[in-house]
Amino acid sequence: MKLTIRRGGGLAGMVTQTELDAQTLPKPAAQDFAGAVARAHLASQPAVQPTAPPARNWPDALLYDISLEETGPPVSVRYTDETLPENVRKLVAWVDGRPERVESIEP
Amino acid sequence: MSRVHGRAHCSIAPPDMLGRLAVDGTPKQREAAVRALATSAAIRSQRAVMGRLNRQLNLNIGQMVGFAVTPQRRLTIYDNKTNGRTFLPGVRARDWGQPPVEDAAVNQAYDGSSATYEFYRDVYKRNSLDGVGLELVSSVHYGVGFDNAFWDGSQMVYGDGSGRIFQIGGLTRSLDVIAHELTHGITELTAGLVYSKQSGALNESFSDVFGSLVKQYSLKQSAAEADWMIGEGILVPALGAALRSMMNPGTAYSGDRQPGHMDDYVDLPDNNDPRNDNGGVHINSGIPNHAFALAATALGGKSWEKAGKIWYKVLTTRLRPNSQFDEAAQATVDVAGSLFSSTEQDIVHNAWKEVGVRT
Repeated sequence: MKLTIRRGGGLAGMVTQTELDAQTLPKPAAQDFAGAVARAHLASQPAVQPTAPPARNWPDALLYDISLEETGPPVSVRYTDETLPENVRKLVAWVDGRPERVESIEP
Repeated sequence: MSRVHGRAHCSIAPPDMLGRLAVDGTPKQREAAVRALATSAAIRSQRAVMGRLNRQLNLNIGQMVGFAVTPQRRLTIYDNKTNGRTFLPGVRARDWGQPPVEDAAVNQAYDGSSATYEFYRDVYKRNSLDGVGLELVSSVHYGVGFDNAFWDGSQMVYGDGSGRIFQIGGLTRSLDVIAHELTHGITELTAGLVYSKQSGALNESFSDVFGSLVKQYSLKQSAAEADWMIGEGILVPALGAALRSMMNPGTAYSGDRQPGHMDDYVDLPDNNDPRNDNGGVHINSGIPNHAFALAATALGGKSWEKAGKIWYKVLTTRLRPNSQFDEAAQATVDVAGSLFSSTEQDIVHNAWKEVGVRT
């Protein structure tokens, strides 16, 4: 299981990518990871969470593209700081706290 | 608006009802409704209604003055850290008029909001974001190591920075960033520039313009002395010196994609992909930013006196939600003529010509 969080927009307009592969985690952490992923219900979200301009009320909000690769086809969902559900926010925070994550800044 | 449910607040009337009363009520109801909408602290749904009212009903500040509200407090700073971390606004950390507290981020948000308030009041005779004393609400310590600051339609929100992109504590340290966020509030309540593609890049640019002007004003700098940088010294040093350079777009940090000329306009779709930045709003803002820096420098003196005055009048009286670069350029040229003379008008025209927006 691999989760890729791409963030863009925001005050800085910078694009960053954070990846976490469950295989790099010790077993208890891998179980926590699986639990956090399950609670985020990524697979049951619509493919794209629309924030069309009229509903876009948060200038400088970050944009998120979160994609999950498991055994089946990858699942990808998009949010902003405005629309990010609490359980997805918790998943992102959990990943951000893991030393095994791989981060990069995209040009 | 769903997040309002997660907050403790004394809900009075639903904001849309207040909005209707503000328009259709008896004079007494209207005054009470506008007062409730304007003074009610930190209830973002109500403030969003204020913004919509201003735009949809074409209410201008002159009309709003009839309902002028004496603000109970000019600004308040909240701490998000102690209250769930993402539930806005959080716990009150420093009230208007209170002395500094121990938390540096709280004091920086307080001082920056106060300096921005005073800039708009003293330079452009504007009483807060809405012109009638709307309380400035800020929340600091949002999230955990959150690498961003934003305007949520009713208040400013600052993360602490992760130390990997933004320096820890960097986001509240920069006066131009604070003024940038607050100016999003003015834009929302005036031109209402749609946060997408060119209108979004204009929205971003006005925030950078007045962000820089608040900084220049606090430093008493002339246009020639200004560094024209936004967010200097708040990124981790390995990434670069600042978030944006208005005079030399594209040079602020490694990976800065900002163009300074229409020839290099980055045409991105607005499709929620983080790589596309709502159609390049933080990217193509480099073009109008560059035009402003060029105009201000050529006009000479203090940037807020001529260039800023022109841009302020354009933002608050001339633009509409879907305005594009060419319309903004035309408006600044027109206003330069009406406020000053044909000399200033030519200078402003030439600045837009230099960045390829006008021919």
